[in-house]
Parts: sequence; structure tokens; C-alpha cells
Amino acid sequence: MNALAQSGVGRAFTTPLGLFSGGYILILLVVALTAPWITPFDVTIQDLANSNAAPGWPHLMGTDEFGRDVLSRVMYGARTSLSVSATAIGFSMIVGMALGAAAGYFGGLFERAVMTVVDLTWSFPDILIALMLVAIIGPGLSSTMFAIAVAYLAQFTRLTRAQIVQLKRETFIEATINLGATPAHILSRHLLPNAVAPVIVVGMLAIGDGIILEATLGFFGLGAQPPTPSWGAMMSSGTAQLFLAPWVIIFPGLVVAVTVIAINLFGDALIRALDIRERLRGT
Amino acid sequence: MSEFLEVSRLSKRYTSKRGLFGAARSMYAVNDVSFRMTKGRVVGVVGESGCGKSTLARLILRLIEPSSGAVRFDGLDLLKQRPREMRRLRARMQMVFQDPYSAIDPRYTVADAVMEPFQIQGVRLSSAARSDMISGLLTMVGLNPQTASSYPHQLSGGQKQRIGIARALALKPALLVLDEPTASLDVSIQAQIVGLLERLQEEMGLTYLFISHDLALVKYFCDEVLVMYLGRVVEALPNTDAPARHPYTRTLLDSTFQPDPKLRRRIQPLAGEVPSPFDLGPGCAFAARCPRASERCRVETPLLAASGGGHAVACHHPD
Repeated sequence: MNALAQSGVGRAFTTPLGLFSGGYILILLVVALTAPWITPFDVTIQDLANSNAAPGWPHLMGTDEFGRDVLSRVMYGARTSLSVSATAIGFSMIVGMALGAAAGYFGGLFERAVMTVVDLTWSFPDILIALMLVAIIGPGLSSTMFAIAVAYLAQFTRLTRAQIVQLKRETFIEATINLGATPAHILSRHLLPNAVAPVIVVGMLAIGDGIILEATLGFFGLGAQPPTPSWGAMMSSGTAQLFLAPWVIIFPGLVVAVTVIAINLFGDALIRALDIRERLRGT
Repeated sequence: MSEFLEVSRLSKRYTSKRGLFGAARSMYAVNDVSFRMTKGRVVGVVGESGCGKSTLARLILRLIEPSSGAVRFDGLDLLKQRPREMRRLRARMQMVFQDPYSAIDPRYTVADAVMEPFQIQGVRLSSAARSDMISGLLTMVGLNPQTASSYPHQLSGGQKQRIGIARALALKPALLVLDEPTASLDVSIQAQIVGLLERLQEEMGLTYLFISHDLALVKYFCDEVLVMYLGRVVEALPNTDAPARHPYTRTLLDSTFQPDPKLRRRIQPLAGEVPSPFDLGPGCAFAARCPRASERCRVETPLLAASGGGHAVACHHPD
């Protein structure tokens, strides 16, 4: 299974778009992982004498109203955005796969109950659900993660269930049942391994959406709390001096846009490389 | 000695609704089927597609729960077994499936696939015993032990069916249900698979329930034959030379291809089509197409009645 996924991921890099988007994501990942050590300036140190400085040397992206280096904060913000989105989506994916697999395999009343609740969450826009949840729990990073996880749960549950329902009809499942296999064996050795590839790709695409949702919540002041840098919060504070120091809002916005586009392009490349377009249809 | 396999009054009824307000309709996929099998024999089940052959196979193995009736296997009432006991019992009653192309998990290597039965039944093997077992099983079904590391997509249909057979026989079952094991294979490969099944039956003293729509193959391969029509057994032949007495069996036999033109005979083609299996009324299901049908056939369902020598026929006007 790993060999297959690796060869598929490897193939995704062979097209120019896949190479550029994948390369950008890799660089962003390195920046996010090493941000505390490689940022040119400390992200929390204020330098009021130098506030709202235009991009130039030594502040390549300028400074904000407190004189903090925008480049450093954008780099550190990658750490916040990516970790929040990836953690939330990872959690959502695991729960969604478990729910979807159980619903698809056991069927009946359980399936109907799960799918009704899941479809209910899907009938509202993501942002509305996220805002509602954060309003209930209170702002902060962990509630942002929870909100993102719930907002995308429906997608993973539906995709997994649809595939399990289809796979369940294959002869090899019946043959394995006839060998005396338990439901746990069937699910863990046959159904889930055969259903996981499209879910991972959708998960990867959802990380891009999650970044937008995280930035939106941050923009509303419901995400990461100051002074932790996050792209959404930076843009929010940038609105105050939109005409005085536009770089404060432009650079984080640009990075959000480029990152989400890169993730989508790479996701497309992955879909093509793993040849799973057919299986993603209708979900 | 108790019967090896005894099927009594086994039925499977399906109901379906047409739309939200439509009336519920029901059909019997398998209707009141009873028969016995002796150890070491090969019993064939023939009939057109849709007559309930495959459903019968799955009911016997309890892959589908029957609506009524009983299955006794080696003195055990299968339908009374609890899930855990049933899972253990499955090791002794295996099945070879019609479609070899989807009978193996595409992510499994051949070695994984033939070792899965042991893993499932909790048989632990040392790695030496494991590789011996893999090459032993592959050799047994006529495959090169080197195929062990292949994936299913690298194999042909015939090779996959051999692996299906190896998987089914890995746990040394007593009963093997063969659900059209050659139907999706080329003719030349069919002969090889049939030869393999014959050899294994002799070597291992297996009991086969052989399901097929190929009457010539059944005549060649089986000791006894059950003929099914729309969910019911219409005739049970004690051996393949017994003359058919049911009009349906006779037309089935007529429809087999005779390669020698001198032996070709006049064929009376059957009029009409198989009626819809939904909500069958009383009477013989074959009556509408039967040249001998009388008024009695349309009102009274004929039951399978023994007519001496192990022969049984369900017809009011048998030959």
C-alpha cells in the first residue's frame, strides 16, 4: 500500500504544475516547521520607531503598526495556519472514515442516523457552522480546529461510506466472509485499505479550504489570539491602515491565496497520478 | 451414518416496494428446496440464469439468511449456530466463485491471498511452514510457486480462478460449493479448471455442489443432478444417464449443442419466456410454456415426488 501511494505521490511531481505546486508546498512546510529558528526578526518584538515601514531592507515585507517584521510574521503564520488546518482535517478525516465505514458496512438504522446528522451539517455553509461552533465554545486555536473538523466531517463520511457500499459488493468480500472473517477483519484488511486513497486526496484538498476557514475565523478575531501570528489575524489588523500601509494586509493575503491554489493544483495532480477521478465523482 | 448435507424446505423470499405508495411485491428466489448429499459425491445444480442456483448456494453456506427451512451439515443445524461458531465452521465448507476477476483483493499478493484463510481462522505458522504452505498450495492448483509475489492484476482469469480454488482448499474443507467456476473463462481454460477440480476431488475426497448452466459440463462432471426452474427443484436425477422425465429437463437437454451432425435431432423450441418471478400464482410455474400443460397444472403446484431409484420429479404429467 505504501509503495503504491509513494509511487503515486512521486508521479504527481512529474507534471510542471505538480512540480511547482508540490515544490511550493514542500518549501512552505519547511518554513512552517523551522519558523522559530529561521525568521529574520522576532515575531513579537515591537519597534514603534519603525512602525508601518514600507517594504525594503531589512524588512523585506515592511512592518506593521507596532513595527513588527511582516515577513517574519508571515513565516510564523504558516506554522499556525498549516498546523491548525492539518490537525483539524486529520482529525476530521479519521472520525469521518470511522463513521462512514461503520455506516456503509452495517447499514440499517445506524447508517440512516449517521447520514442524517452528517447531511444536516452539510446543508449549512462551512463558515456558518464554524462561526456557530466558535461562538458557542469561545475563540481560540483549539475551538478553531474543532470548528474546521466539524465543518468538513460530512465530506469524509460521505466519501468513505459511498466507497464502502460499493466495495462491499465485490466478490472478494463475500469470499473473505466465507472464510470465517470477522467484521473487524473485513473492514480493516479489505474495505478501508481499498477506500483510503481518495479520502487522503480529498483530505489534502480540504487542508487548503481549512486554511481559508482558519484565516476567516482569524480575521474575525475568533482564531489565534494575539500576539500569536496568524494570516487571518494579520489581515484583520491590516485593514486599519489599508491605505497607510497596504503591505500589512497584502502579503498575508497573497500567501493565503498562493498556498490554497498550490494545494488545489497539487491535489489535482495527485488525483491524476493515483487515477482516482472516477471514484471521487458525486461526492 | 447421518447425511453429510441435508437441505430441507429451504426458501428465500424477497419483497420489494414499487415507489412510495406502490404495493409490495414478493418473489421466491429459492422455493421449498429439499435434497440430501452423500459424502464424496458430486451433485450438480442446473437451470437458466435467474432460477435461484446461486442463491441456493449462498443459503446453504449461510452467506444469505434463509426465510425458512433448515440446513444440516455433518449433523449440525447451520441456522442455529451462533456467529462465532459459524465462523469456525466455515473452514469446513468453502466456495469457489463465478467471477475470478474480483475474487481476490487487488491489494493482496498471491501469497497474502492464499495465506489469508489461516490468518482468519487463527492458524499460526512459522515463516518456514508458511512458505512451504504457499508453494504447496500453488503447486496443488497447478501454478508456479513463483507467482506468489504477483498481484491479481498481473494474472490471467484462469490463474486467478486457480488461486480462488487454492484459497478455498487451504483449510481442507469437506464441502466445496462451486458457483459456475468456469462461466467467465475461455473454453480452453474451462477444460483445465474442470480437470483440476476433478483431480482435487479424487485426491482429497471432497464433496462438491456444482452449480452451472452448462448441461453438458454437468453431465460430464456430476454424479447426481438437480434441475431448477424459478426457485424450485423440478427434477432430481440420481445419475446423469437417467432419462429425463420433466418436460423442462427434456427441453434443457435438447438445447445442448451436439457437435456430431449425424447425432443432431429435431428440437422443439420452447415457446414464451420465463414468467416474472414476482407474485407467482398457484400452479406449475412452467405450465405457460409446457406442451403437456393441462387444467390441473394451472391450479395445483406439482410437488417433487420420488419415482423410484432415487429419481424425483415435480410434474403432473411426467414422461
